[in-house]
Amino acid sequence: MNAPPPGKERRNPRRFDRRKSTSVSAHLELLSKMSGHLAVTLNIEETIQKALDLIVQFVKAEGGALFLLDSKDGSLVCKASVGPVDISGVTLKTGEGIVGQCVSENRSRIVRDVQQDPDFDHSVDDATGFRTRSILCAPMSGHTERIGAIELVNKLDASRLFSDTDLLMLQTLASAAALAISNAHMTEDLVKQERVNRELELATEMQRSLLPATRPAPFPVCGINLPAYEMSGDFYDFFELGDGRIYFSLGDVSGKGMDAALLMSKTASLFRCLGKTLHEPHVLLATINRELCETAIHGMFVTMACGLLDLATGEVQLANAGHEPPLLHARDGSFTPIPASAPPLGILPLAAADDGIRKETLNLDGGTLYIFTDGVTEGDLENGGQLGVDGFINIIRESTDLPVADRIAAVVSLLGETGRKRHDDITLIAIDASTPCLRGDIEHNEAPMMVRYTFPAHPSELQAARKVVSKACTDCGCTESMATDIVIAVGEAIQNVVRHAYKDIEDGEATLEIVCKDGIIEFNLQDSAPTADPEKLKPEWPEEPGPGGLGICLIHDIMDKVEHLPSPSGQGNLLRMVKFIESNRNET
Amino acid sequence: MKHEISEKQGTSVVAFTGEIDLESSPAAREILLKCFESTSKVIVDLSEVSYIDSSGVASLVEALQAAKKNGSQFSLAAASEPTRRVLELARLDKVFTMYDSVDEGLTA
Repeated sequence: MNAPPPGKERRNPRRFDRRKSTSVSAHLELLSKMSGHLAVTLNIEETIQKALDLIVQFVKAEGGALFLLDSKDGSLVCKASVGPVDISGVTLKTGEGIVGQCVSENRSRIVRDVQQDPDFDHSVDDATGFRTRSILCAPMSGHTERIGAIELVNKLDASRLFSDTDLLMLQTLASAAALAISNAHMTEDLVKQERVNRELELATEMQRSLLPATRPAPFPVCGINLPAYEMSGDFYDFFELGDGRIYFSLGDVSGKGMDAALLMSKTASLFRCLGKTLHEPHVLLATINRELCETAIHGMFVTMACGLLDLATGEVQLANAGHEPPLLHARDGSFTPIPASAPPLGILPLAAADDGIRKETLNLDGGTLYIFTDGVTEGDLENGGQLGVDGFINIIRESTDLPVADRIAAVVSLLGETGRKRHDDITLIAIDASTPCLRGDIEHNEAPMMVRYTFPAHPSELQAARKVVSKACTDCGCTESMATDIVIAVGEAIQNVVRHAYKDIEDGEATLEIVCKDGIIEFNLQDSAPTADPEKLKPEWPEEPGPGGLGICLIHDIMDKVEHLPSPSGQGNLLRMVKFIESNRNET
Repeated sequence: MKHEISEKQGTSVVAFTGEIDLESSPAAREILLKCFESTSKVIVDLSEVSYIDSSGVASLVEALQAAKKNGSQFSLAAASEPTRRVLELARLDKVFTMYDSVDEGLTA
């Protein structure tokens, strides 16, 4: 092995001597100690101080400081300090002094005599009385960002000079510290994110709780709200006033996200609170509007429709402020949009009068009123298109025979329950007057009405029997036209008994039992004639118009349910005919 | 059921009153068919008929069929709400010639 050139021996890593070996193992020991501290810490301030203590001690410096870069203004702040003067909290501007240079250029420096270095900033010495002679400084940086620097001052050994080994050591320790600080920042961010997430979760839960609980059928109002994100800018609500009326509402706050969700919560709360006392929907909307205008923010506004359903009459009073026209699906199958009479809420104060927010009165008359947000009509279909009002009408038309909750589900199932991402909240409510409880006052009766009428099965008795049927219909609150239809159907049934069942029997008898309860009227017609062939009792419209079989067809056409049952006495025939009642009070 | 037949401008106008059901429909059938013996144009005034059942409808259908056979004219006029309803339900409202009033039927 050749001898190294003079003065170079310190830099030859291959040169082995015992002194160096001791020093290397001490270095390793310190590194291991520090890395251990840094790896496990979550308290970054404490760890920085500990690391700095160890470095200063090991490198034999008079003092040291650790600076962190403030990402907001680019200044360097002293976070830890060791030595005769505590400079914690001292702030340097970007590029200021040797530390500043180190960070901005991301390179280490050994300054053996600061008095000779133009970059040295005397201000700290001047302020503290400390005398800086030499400086060793290494930057700390992460993958992409600069973190800060560690600075050591005044080597304490006889040479009073920091060595290259000292610098190498400091660089290594600075890297370890940088990694630890970077990890700690990430952990801090995660904890913060976790906290935000938890808060969001609670807020979502809170917001869901503002929606009304689903009421089982035949409650006539039901709705759904599917937020596009965690929080919804849409809302719907309904509650009973206790006088046979139900207040309902649906609203859509402009924009999405947390601010929209908070305004939604406010508006929904105003509806629920004010609705208890303001029983005029247009007055209620005008009042909510005034409140929103007073505390308007960022030009946000709310489109909202609300109304009162009178269970006894099926009448709805509706007010609409800038919301998409609700659709009335009448019993005859037609759809009528009911446009808004006023601009959205939260923009300008409006009077609850003809020039402000108006109230429309409509009778559902067994139909259904649908109110929805544009998230429904502008909702994406699987084929990439939008549902549109026409698409909405089509799906409702296809599912007309389903219970109202299933109709709503049918609409929603087209709009992204297939896992596609929604762009807007989907909110929809239906006020359904086809539910039996709206069709009559039967459920309010003390006891179900019942009539039992036995008569000779003779043509001359038919008129009297029909009178019994007609009176029962009136007593049950059927509309006049419905009573006419029922008399036609039951009249045909009785006629069949006289004409066919007792065809060759002179003194036959028939019994008509009429029960009226839960919104239906039921007729049980019993005879004691020979049991009829069920094949002959099936409705079958003749190909050519003619009298044959017409009676059975009329019965099936008019009644909601027709059943031929075995006679309880074992002899004869029992025909049960059921009709859902449409109340007189539905007619205005 | 009661009825009244009047001759107006060569047309027999048969006005029924009351209920045409299984008890009265055989009579209604007889009355209508008999009219075609003396005239080729019959109008039935249904304005005072408060009820008609399938047997009554059958009588009207038989009269219509008889008229078609003979090349005569048979029409219904001023159907009351209950009779109109039954004819609708029976899908027969388009089968019969129906006038809003007897006078309209006479000038047609």
